[in-house]
Amino acid sequence: MDIFAPTASLHAGAIWPEVVVTLTLLLVLVVDLVGGSSVRKSLPVLSILGLVGALVTLVLQWQQPQPESFLGSFAADPVSILFRGLVVGTALLTVMMAERYIVQSGTATGEFYVLLLTATVGGMFLSGATDLIMVFVALETLGIASYLMAGYTKKDPRSSEAALKYLLIGASSTAIFLYGMSLLYGLSGGQTHLEAIALHMGDAGLVGIIALVLCIGGIGFKLAAVPFHQWTPDVYEGSPTPVVAFLSVGSKAAGFALAVRFLATVFPAMTEEWQAVLSVLAILTMVLGNVVAITQTRLKRLLAYSSIGQAGFVLIGLVVGTEAGYASLIFYLLVYLVMNLGAFLCITLFSLKTGTDEINEYSGLYQKDPFLTLCLSICLLSLGGLPPLAGFFGKLYLFWAGWQAGAYTLVLVGLVTSVISIYYYVRVVKTIVVKEPQEMSVSVQNYPETNWQEEGMQALRVGMVFTLVATIFAGILSNPLFTLSTQAVEQSPFLGFPTAQAPTSESTRLQARVDGALGAFTTADG
Amino acid sequence: MLSVLIALPILGSLLLFLGLGGRKLAVVLSGIPLAISLLLFRGFDLQTAGMQWLERWDWIPQVGLNYSLGLDGLSLLMVALNGLITLIAVLTTEPDVKRPNLFYGLILLMSGAVNGAFAAQNLILFFLFYELVLIPIYLLISIWGSGKRDYAAIKFLIYTAVSAIFLLGAFLAIYWIGDPHSFELAEIRIADFSPAVQTLLLLAVIVAFGIKMPLIPFHTWLPDAYGESSPPVAMLLGGALSKLGTYGLFRFGLQLLPQAWADLGGILAWWGAIAVLAGALAAIAQKDIKRMVAYSSIGHMGYILLGMAAATPISLTGVMVQMVSHGLILALLFDLVGLVERKVGTRDLDVLNGLLNPIRGLPGISALLILGGMASAGIPGLVGFVAEFLIFQGSYSDFPLPTLIGILGTGLTAVYFVILLNRTCFGKLDNRTAYYPRVENWERIPGVTLAALILWFGIQPMNLVKWPQPLAFTLSTQVAQAQTIMLAEATDLAE
Repeated sequence: MDIFAPTASLHAGAIWPEVVVTLTLLLVLVVDLVGGSSVRKSLPVLSILGLVGALVTLVLQWQQPQPESFLGSFAADPVSILFRGLVVGTALLTVMMAERYIVQSGTATGEFYVLLLTATVGGMFLSGATDLIMVFVALETLGIASYLMAGYTKKDPRSSEAALKYLLIGASSTAIFLYGMSLLYGLSGGQTHLEAIALHMGDAGLVGIIALVLCIGGIGFKLAAVPFHQWTPDVYEGSPTPVVAFLSVGSKAAGFALAVRFLATVFPAMTEEWQAVLSVLAILTMVLGNVVAITQTRLKRLLAYSSIGQAGFVLIGLVVGTEAGYASLIFYLLVYLVMNLGAFLCITLFSLKTGTDEINEYSGLYQKDPFLTLCLSICLLSLGGLPPLAGFFGKLYLFWAGWQAGAYTLVLVGLVTSVISIYYYVRVVKTIVVKEPQEMSVSVQNYPETNWQEEGMQALRVGMVFTLVATIFAGILSNPLFTLSTQAVEQSPFLGFPTAQAPTSESTRLQARVDGALGAFTTADG
Repeated sequence: MLSVLIALPILGSLLLFLGLGGRKLAVVLSGIPLAISLLLFRGFDLQTAGMQWLERWDWIPQVGLNYSLGLDGLSLLMVALNGLITLIAVLTTEPDVKRPNLFYGLILLMSGAVNGAFAAQNLILFFLFYELVLIPIYLLISIWGSGKRDYAAIKFLIYTAVSAIFLLGAFLAIYWIGDPHSFELAEIRIADFSPAVQTLLLLAVIVAFGIKMPLIPFHTWLPDAYGESSPPVAMLLGGALSKLGTYGLFRFGLQLLPQAWADLGGILAWWGAIAVLAGALAAIAQKDIKRMVAYSSIGHMGYILLGMAAATPISLTGVMVQMVSHGLILALLFDLVGLVERKVGTRDLDVLNGLLNPIRGLPGISALLILGGMASAGIPGLVGFVAEFLIFQGSYSDFPLPTLIGILGTGLTAVYFVILLNRTCFGKLDNRTAYYPRVENWERIPGVTLAALILWFGIQPMNLVKWPQPLAFTLSTQVAQAQTIMLAEATDLAE
């Protein structure tokens, strides 16, 4: 039974996953309103179930992608499905991370999940939006929900400051993006559909360039690419850790989805221009993100700069703009999801128990909490790109694709900055693993016994185990994942890489059908 | 078969990390790969210079990463050496080492990865194993080291990571320039590359492995890393890990890029000769036994470069023998230095004295130290002489002057080892401090085993020489061919 049957021409089935998340959102809101504090425990469970449901519908959609729906304003092609999966996956792990955090911080429960799910829906719509208005509405849904989440622990002045800063920079960059979009609308003679705009961009001249730069400014803010990165360190430091985790992966993935779709669809006529601009951004992002991370003393701030650096690595895939480039971009974001969220899960656990995220306070942790030590070390080493972890293979693909396309400078900068990144990741590992018992920090000396029975701790543990296992094995067993991302790139029409096999298999199938028919005909004849 | 050599130590290390086992398990797990590699010697086909025991599975074929393994004479020797040194390092470890499971686990993990690198027939697979060594060795130095271990470990880490940049850059270039695009050693045809590209690639390879070996301007991590690590770790570093550098230079420099190699031969020979001299002179100036041994190691890498530069059958055989001999001798010296430090409590040449005293000194250890020093300095009857003599004999025809400088370096090696032996073994014991603990029997086993091997290979060198010989002959013809082609082209141009 398809409830969208009357509106079949809209292909409304394309947004089933979003519908599931939206219904969950409403359900959480209503349950919270009606049940009050007695149903507090059921809210994260509801959210998790809803997000898992969304993942399942996404998997089902993978069988039947819908490149055109809602009169051309939304695409559910494979690339969009993967990016939406990334956003949902991030939200799922964020809920697991947040349950205990919310309980312990004493803030309201229901609203957090509602905001998170709203941001998720925004990110999902952004991943498939193919219309200027749609892009803007989805972007703002994600953005406003993020501002609210950043200032969620409102009694903490740092959280409020983070929210204010995020809002100011976010609102102005949205305005810049909006101005770029209005130029595009004007240039194309009143088109809002991305592909329709592209037809008019060939002879856009200087105004086209201005529109491009304004759009890159708006997108660069979401990716935290230098020089649009300045909000990141302060927001990451001040906001609640689960929110930071969501921003660092989910929001970033949505930003990359937007970047891939927007640049590839609207500006194919200006490929050289945007590739030049983005190469500069990529180099700046890799260098600044990784160099400044060295001097950080707080782990959340260190991960803020590291996430800037990581975005720089991912930009390599976007800049080269080849099939392998996009595929390695998607693959890297997939593994980045598990390793970065794994690291944030560990930070959350540590700060829940000690109330700090100073790197020095982690000294000697291996004695008190071996599991946390293992998980955090593996995730950080994977972020540094050490074999045989997932991050190594992710970087290998990115550099491989970069070299294939002849982007030697980018690859070399990437290689050098990953060595720098190894230094600061290993420095944290050193603090945790190497320090002697007598060098243990005060926090670790008073480290409480972990009680996994407390509310929300089980979810945290499940999340940690999942990310740990995935970080270890997603690299060694990366073949299916890599095939998945390559397929997605090949089968998404907007990127313009027609599958090599698809036409032939189509024609052979046709041939077979003709043969079959003929065979039936001849046998009937004989 | 080869996969067992890699998988067994790595899986074993996981067991140890989980807290199962301990020293006994570590001994068993490091003994089995050694036993397997010794068995492989029996099945080795001496008639072929190619790879044997090939294994190949597709791993990630989209990017050209295959799990493909194989061994030839050189890698077989290296795998056996690595197995031996790992076992010896485990045996040398003090039973009351702190955090034993992590320690043995890291050693096994590293040993498995080193085996993997020696057996890898795919460039990216090699790179993967090469990088895999990084974190275990970093932790081994920085947890169990002495004094300035933090500094030494991070320096080592960064140097090695930088070396990996050059390596990955070169490998990616080989992949994308080559036709067909492949990381498989057997499928790469370099001959179509332009000479300029080959030279660039070779330079990248030389820098990458020159850091690891190390060669003279890239060596500054070594005295710190060797000096600050505990004896078993120093053994692994010098005995097995530095071979990764020489092996890589051999496999990916000489064997993969013979034309560029022939082109640069003269420079490399001089480079090697200078390294020999510099290493020896720097060793003479040291006051700490461990640092002295460390610099001696730099000098010995010079011979390897010299022999490789000449690329005659004899010198290449010598190079491969030298890799084994250097591994054995360095392991012996680090074992003995570690014992002296543990019993006497110092490594300072100004404090040590009279250890050869039969009753109150450490006579057994001192005797072995004398033997090890002599082997290192190239005294006949010991394996060091065989290797150095082969290198000198093979290189003299091509590069007489650098060879003579190399021989001079051997003399200087003798000088600093005599200084070392004179200051430690001879003289009188200080009566106030000379109450050294007894040397237990288990502590003697590693030293005696290594000394016996050094002596045996020195007297019966064919047991060592015959394995790498086929490879040496094939390679030297390749380089010679490349050289004639180059000369022919040069004369063409001249005409």
